[in-house]
Amino acid sequence: MTIRADVVVIGGGIVGAACAYYLCASGLEVHLVERRFPASGTSRACDGLILLWDKTPGAELALGQASAALWTELTESLNADFEYARNGTILLAEGDEGLVAGGSKAEAMRAIGVRAEVLDRSGLRSLEPNLAPNLAGGVFFPDDAQVDARRATLALLSAAQQEGLTLHANTEVIAIRRTTSGNRRVSGVVTGAGEIATSTIVCAAGVWSNDVARLAGIELPIRPRKGHILVTAGVPGLICHPLLEGGYVSTVQSAAEDLQVALVAEMTAGGTLLLGSSRQFAGFDRSVSLAVLQAIATRAVRFLPSLAKVGVIRSYAGLRPWSPDHLPLIGPLAAIPGFYLATGHEGAGIGLAPITGRLIGDWILGADLPPVAAQVCPDRFDYQLSEGSGQN
Amino acid sequence: VAATELAVVGAGPAGLAAAVTAARAGVHVTLVDEYPRPGGQYLKGTSSPVTATEKQGRALLRDLAELDVELRTETLVWGIEGLRLALHAPHSLDWLEARTLVLATGARELVIPFPGWTLPGVMTLGAAQILAKEHGIPAGRRVLLAGSGPLLLPVANELVRLGAEVVAVLEASHLGQWFRHAPATWGNWDRLREGWHYLSSLRQARVPYRLGRTVIRALGSPPAPAKGRAERRGELQAAVVARLDRQGHPVPGSEKTVDIDALCLGFGFLPNVELAQLAGCAHEFDTARGGWVPRVDERMETTVPDLFVAGETAGVGGAGSAMMEGRIAGLTVAQRLGYISESELARELTGLAKRYRRLRRFGAMLNTLFAPRPGLDATIADETPICRCEEVSAEEVRAAVARGVVELDALKTWTRVGQGACQGRTCGPVLARLIARETGRSVAEVGVFHARPPLKPVPLGDLALEMCE
Repeated sequence: MTIRADVVVIGGGIVGAACAYYLCASGLEVHLVERRFPASGTSRACDGLILLWDKTPGAELALGQASAALWTELTESLNADFEYARNGTILLAEGDEGLVAGGSKAEAMRAIGVRAEVLDRSGLRSLEPNLAPNLAGGVFFPDDAQVDARRATLALLSAAQQEGLTLHANTEVIAIRRTTSGNRRVSGVVTGAGEIATSTIVCAAGVWSNDVARLAGIELPIRPRKGHILVTAGVPGLICHPLLEGGYVSTVQSAAEDLQVALVAEMTAGGTLLLGSSRQFAGFDRSVSLAVLQAIATRAVRFLPSLAKVGVIRSYAGLRPWSPDHLPLIGPLAAIPGFYLATGHEGAGIGLAPITGRLIGDWILGADLPPVAAQVCPDRFDYQLSEGSGQN
Repeated sequence: VAATELAVVGAGPAGLAAAVTAARAGVHVTLVDEYPRPGGQYLKGTSSPVTATEKQGRALLRDLAELDVELRTETLVWGIEGLRLALHAPHSLDWLEARTLVLATGARELVIPFPGWTLPGVMTLGAAQILAKEHGIPAGRRVLLAGSGPLLLPVANELVRLGAEVVAVLEASHLGQWFRHAPATWGNWDRLREGWHYLSSLRQARVPYRLGRTVIRALGSPPAPAKGRAERRGELQAAVVARLDRQGHPVPGSEKTVDIDALCLGFGFLPNVELAQLAGCAHEFDTARGGWVPRVDERMETTVPDLFVAGETAGVGGAGSAMMEGRIAGLTVAQRLGYISESELARELTGLAKRYRRLRRFGAMLNTLFAPRPGLDATIADETPICRCEEVSAEEVRAAVARGVVELDALKTWTRVGQGACQGRTCGPVLARLIARETGRSVAEVGVFHARPPLKPVPLGDLALEMCE
């Protein structure tokens, strides 16, 4: 039996959920197809930070600011607790050199309207008394926030379902159909459970987007960038703000193939501490590397000495969808009419999910687009087409 | 990096047998165990052995002391990469590079929860057994035992010996079809004698052994206000007992309340397969072996070459078959490393084959006969806490299932189950049963939680130590 939909979203992570939410809110008939279950990929193997200061001024920061505002809106409109907390974050400086760099970062951010407060040694200690006493200081960014990524994904999906979303979990996409004549627009999605006829497809499959894009006949430049997180036993109150070490941004922006580690510490509502972060290109292998766990533990104890006696209860590794220019791919692809991308967010998918959903909605409905839309449009890259693919 | 020809993880009956057998053939063996002394749960304490199997186990401990086996006690295997074990002892980390591996990590108890099961005074049969055997302390003054399987009997006897009043032993199974399984008991005289010995001493002590009954609710005293924030939880005062129908559903109207101060529970054993999972061994679901077990060939080798499993890890079967499997694995390792020839190995294995098959058959019979019936999950009322670490109730689990969750792994996304300190070891199997019941799928289809390092909590300060490379 063939069903019909205005839009089929492929991928039930946070980005797919946000796309579905904004598309449903504008009255479209939307179906979401997820290979396993909601948030079964990267959206449950990550932290939940919504950061502004790590974004490069320009398109990236503009997206971040727009999305942060949407997150605040969503705390009202979603009517679900997804542990949103706007506690701000602290960028840690180990030595004086780091503090100088932090100072200029703070200045640059303030210049474009992001609040930032430089902390000296004692200022840092008064905000976070459990930090190592020999740290030079830091920068406090009061506008940053955090969510529980899994809960946020489920909250977006639930709200979308109330607006009419049809969710197909445990359903794999086998083929993407395109018309034979004319511009060869997409015409349907074939799944293990049947076929959905549609003229619009949104690929929000994160790191697995290429598997979907190949079905449509195109090759994407997305690569999996692996990250590890350690979870500690409950230490409620040990830190009051998410903490990031100064070297964090350089590990994000580095194109190095090998392992990069910088401390990220985030307290969950349950009282456990999430400790990251690592970045490495290691294919699609999601197994946990013991050496990486050790490297993160070493950084964590350096900054938070009282963690030394706290047990690590588990760990996980996730894959970030890396894009070559550190900007996501959001919007239509000229080569395949009706095929939209919402992917390539690397480690910023949680923060940027709402703006991604909003932009996809604007594109599909033909609404006025903000200037940033052009900068994240997928057509900034050249693509390899495989003409044989894209079933009829 | 320390190196060894054979690393054995777990020094219970199976691990001891593997280590002793291989060492005797000349293999350099390192035996790793979390506890301060080898022996596992089975050979804990110093009480004189009752059964032939226990005597055999004690003999292995003596052999171990005489052989040149490197013993690493109080050592946790927290991760594995290839055949390299990541070890943690207090304030030290080490790699152990092994040419061959035998995982003999034992089993844990299954507890099917009901309202009140987290009250102080409620414990597992195993915990009651350790209290009794190691410390000479009975679980309480008026004790009720409930659950399923052979362990109920020795624990009840132990409690009687220590002077506790054992109100009753409730076996959930009806054992109604036992005669169908009678052929499997043939030849297992020692085990039958053991069972008979326990049953008759319970009868002498006038302890009733009731079939087809279980506890459906534990009642506590009202919570007492205490100093500080949290009020003290009430203590166990009574249990509500009900008759069960053939499918394990409590029969309405059959409830009786019994005053007690301790309740010991155990619904059989589940293999500890987390390390084997982490090592990448393929697993299969087999009720006759106690649930999820690594797939093995007749020489106990898993799908990962040179990696063997033995004992309860390979399938719940009791100490007798565990020692046999340890021996089979130990001999195969000795052959693999060139200490004995293939023909010697074949001869030894042929000699063991008949007895092993007999023990295995008996173990499978017990696992099938005492397997908790699906109806028992009906005792998991909505308010029952299922995940103790994260305080998730059965109601939340059922709500997630109603929203479309059909597998265990997905439930972790919808609720916080399995994310606490025990990593779902306790709640995972119960949750699998519950999802299966609510969705009409089989427990096997519902799947498992994935094991991740560290397998048990390791302090961050210790993780930050240099690994000796």
